[in-house]
Amino acid sequence: MEIKTEQFTELARKELKNERTRFFLKVIPAVMKARRDAGMANLPDPSAAMACGAAIRAEALARLPELLEEFEKNATANGMKVFWARDDKEANEFIKKLAKEKGVRYVTKGKSMVTEETALNELLEEHGIEVWETDLGEFIAQQLHRPPFHIVGPAINVPVEEVRDLFIQKIGLKEPTLDPIQLGYAARLFLRDKFHHVQMGVTGVNVAVAETGTIINVENEGNIRFTKASPPVQVSVMSLEKVVASMEDALHMIRLVCRNCTGQRISVYVSMDSGPKKKDEIDGPEELYIVIVDNGRSKIYQDAKARDALRCIRCGACLVSCPVWRQVGGYAYGWAYSGPMGQVLNPMILGLERTQELYRASTLCGSCKSICPVGIDHPSLFLYYRAKDVLGDPNFKSVNRPWMERKFFKMFSWAAATPWAWNMGVRMARPIMNKDAQNGVVSKAKGPFQGWFRSRNIPAMAGDTFHDRWKNNLKDKG
Amino acid sequence: MKEVSLFIPCTVDLFAPRIGEAVVNLLRRVGANPIYHEEQTCCGQPAMNAGYREEAKKVAKHFITVFEKDPVIVSPAGSCVCMVKDHYPEILEDEPDWFRRAKDLAPRVYEFSQYLVDVLKVEDVGASFEGKVTYHESCHILRGLGVSEQPKKLIRAVKGAQLIPLDNADSCCGFGGEFANDFPDISESMVKDKVESFLTSGADLLVLNEPGCFLNIGGYLNRNHPGKRIMHLASFLATNGREAEYGN
Amino acid sequence: MAQSVRDEILAKLRAAPSVGVPTRPTLPPYKTLSMNQEQLIAEFIARLAEEAVAVHRVKDFPEVLDRLTVIASEEGLKKVMTSADDVISRLDLAGWGKKNDIQVMTPRDFPDRNSYRDAVFDQAQAGITGADFAVAESATIGLIHNKDQSRLVSLAPILHIAIVPVDRIIPVYEKAIEKAFAKKGEYPSQFVFITGPSMTGDIQGVLFKGMHGPRKVIVILVG
Repeated sequence: MEIKTEQFTELARKELKNERTRFFLKVIPAVMKARRDAGMANLPDPSAAMACGAAIRAEALARLPELLEEFEKNATANGMKVFWARDDKEANEFIKKLAKEKGVRYVTKGKSMVTEETALNELLEEHGIEVWETDLGEFIAQQLHRPPFHIVGPAINVPVEEVRDLFIQKIGLKEPTLDPIQLGYAARLFLRDKFHHVQMGVTGVNVAVAETGTIINVENEGNIRFTKASPPVQVSVMSLEKVVASMEDALHMIRLVCRNCTGQRISVYVSMDSGPKKKDEIDGPEELYIVIVDNGRSKIYQDAKARDALRCIRCGACLVSCPVWRQVGGYAYGWAYSGPMGQVLNPMILGLERTQELYRASTLCGSCKSICPVGIDHPSLFLYYRAKDVLGDPNFKSVNRPWMERKFFKMFSWAAATPWAWNMGVRMARPIMNKDAQNGVVSKAKGPFQGWFRSRNIPAMAGDTFHDRWKNNLKDKG
Repeated sequence: MKEVSLFIPCTVDLFAPRIGEAVVNLLRRVGANPIYHEEQTCCGQPAMNAGYREEAKKVAKHFITVFEKDPVIVSPAGSCVCMVKDHYPEILEDEPDWFRRAKDLAPRVYEFSQYLVDVLKVEDVGASFEGKVTYHESCHILRGLGVSEQPKKLIRAVKGAQLIPLDNADSCCGFGGEFANDFPDISESMVKDKVESFLTSGADLLVLNEPGCFLNIGGYLNRNHPGKRIMHLASFLATNGREAEYGN
Repeated sequence: MAQSVRDEILAKLRAAPSVGVPTRPTLPPYKTLSMNQEQLIAEFIARLAEEAVAVHRVKDFPEVLDRLTVIASEEGLKKVMTSADDVISRLDLAGWGKKNDIQVMTPRDFPDRNSYRDAVFDQAQAGITGADFAVAESATIGLIHNKDQSRLVSLAPILHIAIVPVDRIIPVYEKAIEKAFAKKGEYPSQFVFITGPSMTGDIQGVLFKGMHGPRKVIVILVG
C-alpha cells in the first residue's frame, strides 16, 4: 500500500466532493455508533467495563517484555514456532522464505492490520506468490488496490455497481447482479475454492495470551477459521503489543472489542490456537508459526506518554465517533490506520514529519477519548505530538516548524503576558482586521485567516472591548 | 456578597464583549459581586493547541499571577476553563512551584452555567422568552467538564421558553481554534451539518455557551442564513433573547 | 541470528521507563451467573433466537434422531459429515443414515487430509457435531478441537447442526475456558466459540448470513 499520509488535506478535499462517500457517511457511521452503544449497554456496568479494559491493557504494557517472554515460552512448549522481526522487511522476508520453502503458489489471508502496515501482500506477489485476502471487504479493497475505508468494513463505502463490475472482471461473475447478497455469495464460491486447496495461510492476531501460549482471532465470516483449518502451514502475525497476561483478561477484551466494533456480544467465531494440530487430528496446521513484529513499537514503548497508543485493540469505535472521520472517511488518512486510531499510531510509526496534518486535523472534541474502551487519551496525544513537532525532536522524526509561525507564537505569548503590549497589539490590529467591515461584520480580511472567511463572517473587532466597557462603564454600576 | 472574579476570554473581549456584559449583568442579578482584573489577556490556548508549550507556559504564568488570589473565578468559555484546569498543571509539571500554584488554582475556576447552578444553586434568573429554543453541547463543556444539565436547567427555567432537542447536539461544530482556519473544507462541512440540525429543529433560536462555537456557527449563519438567530447562553438569559445581531 | 533479534527487542523494551497503571475496578457479575439451570436454558434459547438460529427442543437422545429425520427432509439432506465427539457417539448416526437413505460420513472414513478435505468441502451438505459447552450469555457453542472433533465439519458445509445436551449450558465463557484449559501441556490445539451462522455487512453495510462459514445453524437441545 502506498503511503499517502502527507496528502491528508488534498485527499480529504477529494472525499468531501465524492457523492458516494458523502451518501455513505451520512448514514452508516451513525448506525454503527448506535449499535456500539446498544452493545455496551447490555453489560452490567459499561463504564467499569471500559475502565477494566484500560487497566488490563495498561498492565499488559507495563509488563510487556516479561509477558512476551512468557508467551514465547508457553507457545513454544505447545509446539508453535516463534519468530521475532525487528521491522516490516524482516517479517515479510521470513514469510516469503517460508512460502518458497513450502513451494506454495498462493496463500489465503485473514484480515491483519499489521501485514497491511508491512505491505506483506506486495512483497509476496513480487516473488511470485499469489495472495488472496479472504475477508469480503479486504478482498474487494485488495482487488481495487485501495486502502481500507474503515477497519471493520474496509470496502463498505464502495458502491454496489463498482463491486459488480469488479467481480465480472476478477472472479468471473456470470449474473451481473446489484444485490449485495448475491455478490457476496459469488465471492464466497470463488474464495471457497481457494480455501479448499490452500497450502499455507496467514492470519493476524487479535489477542495473544501469555499464561497459556495461545493466540486468539475474532471474526464474523469464517475466513480466518478456514485459513487455520485447511492448510498444513499456518503463519499468524502479531504486533508485539497484542499480548495480555491471562485467559481471563483475554475474555474481557473479547467482550469489549466485539461490542465496540459492531455492537455484538461476541463475534460469530472466536478461535483460540494453542499449538499446531495434534498428531491424530485430520485438519489444522502441521506447523504453526507466530511472527512477533516490532516495526517501531519498542521505540514508541520507550516514551512514557506515547506508549498509551499501544493499548489500542483495533475496535474502530473512535472512527465512527470522530466528527472529522465522519466527514472524510478512511481514505484521507493515507495508510492502513485511519481516524483517531491512525492519528495516534501513524505519527509514531512513520515519524511526525510525514504525518504533520494527521495529528493537527482534530478539533480536540474528545469523542474518541470518551468512547475508547481502553482509555486512550487521543487529544492529549495529538497535543503531545504537536509539541514534539515544534521542538523538532529527532527522536520523533520531526523537523522545525515554519519560521513565521514560530515568530508569531513568540510574539503572541510575550504580548499575552504583558498587558500593555496586548492592549497595544489589539489597537494596532483593529483597523487592519476591520478594514472591509460592513454593518459591524467582517467577511474578508488580509492575513492568514483566509480559511475562516471562505464560508463564514466574523464580528468586527469591537471598538470598545470588554476591557474598555468594564473600565468606562460596568465597573461602577456594581 | 459573594465576590466573583471574571475570566473573560480573548474571543469575548475582542469579538463579542456583549457576552461579557451579560455575564456581569446576570451575576449582579443573582446577588454576586463580579470583579475584573484588567491585566488579564488570554489563557494561552492558541499556543498550546499549536504545540508551543514554552510560549503557553509564559501565558499561563501571567494568568496564574493575575488570578491566584481569587477564591472564585468564573468564565463564559468552557475550553478556556479546561485549559486552566487541565493543561496548566500539565505544562508546568517540570516547575514544582508553578505546578503547585496551578493545581491550587484549578478547583476554583468554573464555567459560568456550572457556577450558577451547582454553586449558587440558581436556575431561575428571572428571564422570559416566548419561543422554541434549542441547545448545542460544546465539546469542552460536555466532555471536558461534564456539564450538560446545568445550561438546560437554566434554559428550562426561562418563562415561556420551550427547550426542544437538537439532532446530533453533541457533535463538534468544527471550530477547534486553528482547525477552522487550517482545515477549512472539513470545518465548513462540519458547521454546515450543525446548522442543518438547527434549521430542521424547528427552533427559533440556537443557544450555546462557548464563544468559539458562537463565532463559528454564528459566522456561518451570518454569511449563509442571515435571518437565523444564535446567542450565547449568558446573552440569552440577560436580555430575554432580545440581544442585537451577530456583529459589533 | 533469530536469537539476537529477540534479545535486541526485549532489551529495548526492558530499557523503557516504568509507568503507573490505572487501578482495576471491580466488575459487577454477569446476570447469567445468578441464574438457575432452567433460567439458563431459557436464556440460551432466547439468545439463539436473536442470532437467527433455529432451535428444536427434545427430551432424550432417541428423539434427537426423529428430529434429525424431519430436519433432513426439510433441508433435502442426502450427504452429511459428522464429528465423533462424545455427544455424537451417543447416537447411532450410521444406522440412522442407512434407515433414511442418507450418506453419513465421518473424518475417519478418509485415509488422508486431502480426501477428507474434498469431501467436507464438496460433498457434505451439513456438518453435525455435539457441543462441549453452550454459553448462555450469548448462545455460544464451545468446541474443543481434537481427533474426535475436526475443524472443518462445523465450518465448511452450508448447514451446521449442533446437538446440545442441556447440561452443557453454562452461564459465562470463563466456565468453558477454565475446563478446556485446565491442564497445562494439555491445551486443545484449537478451541472455538461459535455464535450463529457466518455473517458479513461488507458490501454497503447490507448484512447477510453465510459468507464463508455455514449459512444456517440449527441447534437440537436435548433434555
